[in-house]
Amino acid sequence: MELHILEHSLKVASIEKEGIQICTHGLIKLAFLASKTRCKFFSLTETPEDYTIIVDEEGFKELPQSEHISVADATWLALNVVSGGGNASNSQPIGVTKIAKSVIAPLADHNISVFMLSTYQTDFILVRERDLPMVMHTLSSEFTLLRVVNGETVAAHSLGVTNGFVKPKLGRLPRPIIHPLSSPSNMFCVTSLDPDTLPSVATLLMDVMFYSGGPKEPGASSEDSSHIRFFSFSLIEGYISLVMDEQTTQRFPNNVLFTSASGELWKMVRIGGQPLGFDECGIVAQISEPLATADIPAYYISTFKFDHALVPEENIQSVIGALRTKSTAQ
Amino acid sequence: MSGSKPDILWSPHHPDRYVICDSELGLYRIGPVGGSETKAGALPLSEETAATLLAINSDTPYMKCVAWYPKHEPECLLAVGQANGRVVLTSLGQSHNSTCKELVGKEFVPKHARQCNTLAWNPVDSNLLAAGLDKHRADFSVLIWDISSKFSPEASVAAEKIRLSSVDLDSSSVVTKPLYELGQNDACLSLCWLLRDPKLLLAGMHRNLAIFDLRNTSQKTFVNTKAIQGVTVDPHFHDRVASFFEGQVAIWDLRKFEKPVLTLTEQPKPLTKVAWCPTRTGLLATLTRDSNIIRLYDMQHTPTPIGDETEPTIIERSVQPCESQIGSFAWHPSSQNRMVVVSAANRVMTDFTVFERISLAWSSTTSLMWACGRHLYDCVEDGADGVESVIEKDIATKMRQRAQSRYGHDTVQVWRNHLLAGGNDPKLKSLWYDLFYMKQCAEDMELKLQGNKQSVVYSGIKNIVKTSSGTTESRRCWSGSDRQTDVPRYLSEERCLALRLCGWISRGPDIDVEIFLRTLEQEREWERAAAVALFNLDIRRAIQILNKGATAEKGDLNLNVVAMALSGYTDEKSSLWREMCSSLRLQLKNPYLCVMFAFLTSEPGAYDGVLYESSVAVRDRVAFACMFLSDAQLPRYIDKLTNEMKEAGNLEGILLTGLTKDGVDLMESYVDRTGDVQTASFCMLKGSPGDVLKDPRVQCWIENYRNLLDAWRFWHKRAEFDIHRGKLDPSSKPLAQVFVSCNFCGKSISYSCSAMPHQGRGFSQYGVSGSPTKSKVTSCPGCRKPLPRCALCLMNMGTPVSNCPGTGKSDEKVDLTRENKLAQFNNWFTWCHNCRHGGHAGHMLSWFRDHTECPVSACTCKCMQLDTTGNLVPSDSS
Repeated sequence: MELHILEHSLKVASIEKEGIQICTHGLIKLAFLASKTRCKFFSLTETPEDYTIIVDEEGFKELPQSEHISVADATWLALNVVSGGGNASNSQPIGVTKIAKSVIAPLADHNISVFMLSTYQTDFILVRERDLPMVMHTLSSEFTLLRVVNGETVAAHSLGVTNGFVKPKLGRLPRPIIHPLSSPSNMFCVTSLDPDTLPSVATLLMDVMFYSGGPKEPGASSEDSSHIRFFSFSLIEGYISLVMDEQTTQRFPNNVLFTSASGELWKMVRIGGQPLGFDECGIVAQISEPLATADIPAYYISTFKFDHALVPEENIQSVIGALRTKSTAQ
Repeated sequence: MSGSKPDILWSPHHPDRYVICDSELGLYRIGPVGGSETKAGALPLSEETAATLLAINSDTPYMKCVAWYPKHEPECLLAVGQANGRVVLTSLGQSHNSTCKELVGKEFVPKHARQCNTLAWNPVDSNLLAAGLDKHRADFSVLIWDISSKFSPEASVAAEKIRLSSVDLDSSSVVTKPLYELGQNDACLSLCWLLRDPKLLLAGMHRNLAIFDLRNTSQKTFVNTKAIQGVTVDPHFHDRVASFFEGQVAIWDLRKFEKPVLTLTEQPKPLTKVAWCPTRTGLLATLTRDSNIIRLYDMQHTPTPIGDETEPTIIERSVQPCESQIGSFAWHPSSQNRMVVVSAANRVMTDFTVFERISLAWSSTTSLMWACGRHLYDCVEDGADGVESVIEKDIATKMRQRAQSRYGHDTVQVWRNHLLAGGNDPKLKSLWYDLFYMKQCAEDMELKLQGNKQSVVYSGIKNIVKTSSGTTESRRCWSGSDRQTDVPRYLSEERCLALRLCGWISRGPDIDVEIFLRTLEQEREWERAAAVALFNLDIRRAIQILNKGATAEKGDLNLNVVAMALSGYTDEKSSLWREMCSSLRLQLKNPYLCVMFAFLTSEPGAYDGVLYESSVAVRDRVAFACMFLSDAQLPRYIDKLTNEMKEAGNLEGILLTGLTKDGVDLMESYVDRTGDVQTASFCMLKGSPGDVLKDPRVQCWIENYRNLLDAWRFWHKRAEFDIHRGKLDPSSKPLAQVFVSCNFCGKSISYSCSAMPHQGRGFSQYGVSGSPTKSKVTSCPGCRKPLPRCALCLMNMGTPVSNCPGTGKSDEKVDLTRENKLAQFNNWFTWCHNCRHGGHAGHMLSWFRDHTECPVSACTCKCMQLDTTGNLVPSDSS
């Protein structure tokens, strides 16, 4: 397995719902006019609480300074697991599940906080830049570490900060789930579209992103209390990924969104009652490990305040069950 | 190829059909303009060809890539990759009962939708269609579909879960299970099957090139690189692959896959297509965005690099098939170097053939050869003797003939060389007479002046008249009349010498042209003789010569008329005779007759009519000038004439320049015009072995002439020339460069000889040139160890050839006659530089007549084949 350390230096920011209008210019530019910026990594996730933006330094310049925007102080690096070497075993668990044991758990064991971003194409594990030497040390035994420099992948050499001492053999401590979970009722689609067709649906996407379904919209909240407003758009290295609920997909014309042959739908598990912050580690591991054990595919999207896992709709009961067991067992 | 960007595909089997795909597929047939098959709607592609639209297919929207089925049947089957990752089989211009009916409309659907970037049919196992798709987190990016697979029951069970659209379910032609899935969690941007093994698939993945082996899908060979787009295998060299990234093309050798063997110069704009020419080895065409040129890289002469650092040379050129910006191009599959180009906008097509570079070479024997593409043209001189007069023969032919007739080798009767040269070139005749007179004078002067003025003779009249002093002026009477002429004549020692060099007078202090006149009469040069007589103020003799000419066999009766006119000469300035002669003389065809009257009608000292009459031989004009121009006028005239001659490369001018630096300049001009290094070499060798021969130009001519002789295999001629040269230019004799050293003591055998002069042993004693009957030295004079043995007769070096035991032929017997004693080549010792075996040259020659391997047993050296010239025979007769 290869672990690619991508060259983007990322910022994670939160824009308050009230302040979104001052940012729309920059956001539209980043999302729809990629050729006008030098940004290569852009992700926008709308939750009921706020908009979470993950963007590289080039793209960050497009956003204004405002009291409505709070930025996590660290610079983040994206890690990407690639099944290089080509061990193509056909029964492959999907998504976060695949890397739960190999990446997320070891990082949690070493008290490294991670920020997850799953997309249609792949999973990005964001770690703080200052944690990188420790990350490399932790993962060097499992992975071939490669660094992307100017688009070329080159071997990354461990920086040797942890020379001398053996990797701490932490016992497999039970990892109880400590944050409250909730599962909204609506179902989600993880999809993508051809970048060439993006202009044709740009206005629709803008409408979805910025104008439809705010928290103050009376219809939506009254309809179903457990219905959640959640939308994610990312444009990373030319690839578009979208997460939206089933109703929103109906608004798109036929044949624009990539629908998988199996037409799968996903249910969400939302983690956290209080904003989780960036320092606590092990949250992703708490959720992903039981799912991996149960061989349930999942997407995982961290936002500024809460984490979100997406699991197949048919598995939601077993997932809830497994996670409940986990938290009560403690 | 999204939307507006068109692409072209040639039919793999119909050389006249191609498909253009942009938003739809259009099938075209190409044919000659105005041909019977072309209809009214034909689109002109070039001056000769036009295309007809045969069919349009717009059934498949969101096309991203297209690939043409590689086999004959079913024909015109296309695979289209769509934006959602589906691959659809479709067809164009086929009747519905055709063989591909059940295939057309078949769809191959990936589990997760994403763009299909590339398609590639397996060239051997043509059921296999590889599709390269964009990245999906949980899916594979390279799917290999089997187009013959049916909608399997296994898949239909799964269909309950799969929410296929109603359309999909209607047509039972949807395949969802690929035969192979490769490249998980990666993106595939380009694909091609490797020609060296149809089970190998080369894929340009996200940030690496990977080779997948279908026999073992868990393994792949890969190399990290940015150049992952447009992978394509060289159809002529199956290990060579091109790929590109933005503006840069990388060429890979699959046997050494770690890094590109070379990268081509980066273009400022990103590349859109890179294609190997299918009809020509090592020709790669590239196209960049927004460009109207196609760049060609010729890797014809790139052998596989040996070391890491050797970067093979490539020739880059650009072609511009049309004015507009090019959208795409495609090489014709069989027609040489031909391509069709489609413009970026409006689908304007151009049929274009890349013109091959021409390479050209002269042979040393007049033929000319040039190569263009697959054509080789040989142009040979028309050797028929009948046309000899019409077209002058090539200088190479002339030089060859002259070399065979020993041209240049007559060192006594130097003038005879022009006869050896064929005797029909007046310039050469003049040159050799000049050299003859120079030689004559030099020898004569040596007798007279003990050689102190010898160099003057060869320095040319230009230098001779410059040193002129003590000129006396005389006014002579017309011979045979008492009338005093008012024509002053000048005389000096130097002028006299000049006249001798001109050939007018022979030795002696008197100016007596009578001998010269007789020679001219013998050669029937009546007009010239008359003019020379007249210039010597002997009108009577001139008239007499003309009469003789008129009455001689085949004589020209008009000469009598001229004689009559001449006899009426009067020196009265205003006479009718003068007036008429000066105007009518210009109508005389013969230049000598013309200058005769010019002389008679000129004012003294103003002889431009004579001096600048270019059809009169230079020697005659110079001689005339030496007699009638004053010390002030003469050098000016000679200088002027010299420069003219130098400019024109006229060999007659050697008379003026002599064999000096001026003469070399003149000869250079001559060689530039004619390429006749032979004449130049021989001429310059005749000069005094001074500065002239040291001139690099002269050395260059001589070396080139020697090379030419070698190239003609005139080895004996070349040897003769070297001997000739050695005689005339002792400095050219090469020093001994090869020595034979003893195996034991390492001393040179010949050196040892010269170191012991009292023993009196020459090289001849080692069998090189010695008499075969005398006793020989068979041991090293230094250490007394035996010399090497002949591999055939087992006799030591230094022993003459005797009966060869191996062959035993009678003609191998030593001929002991006198003539054969000297330099008997058979007695020479020779050996192979590779295996170091050898022996007597005669033995070796006869051995290798029947064998290829070395005569020493167990030695497998193919000695004779290593000698590239060993099997050639000299083509000159001597």
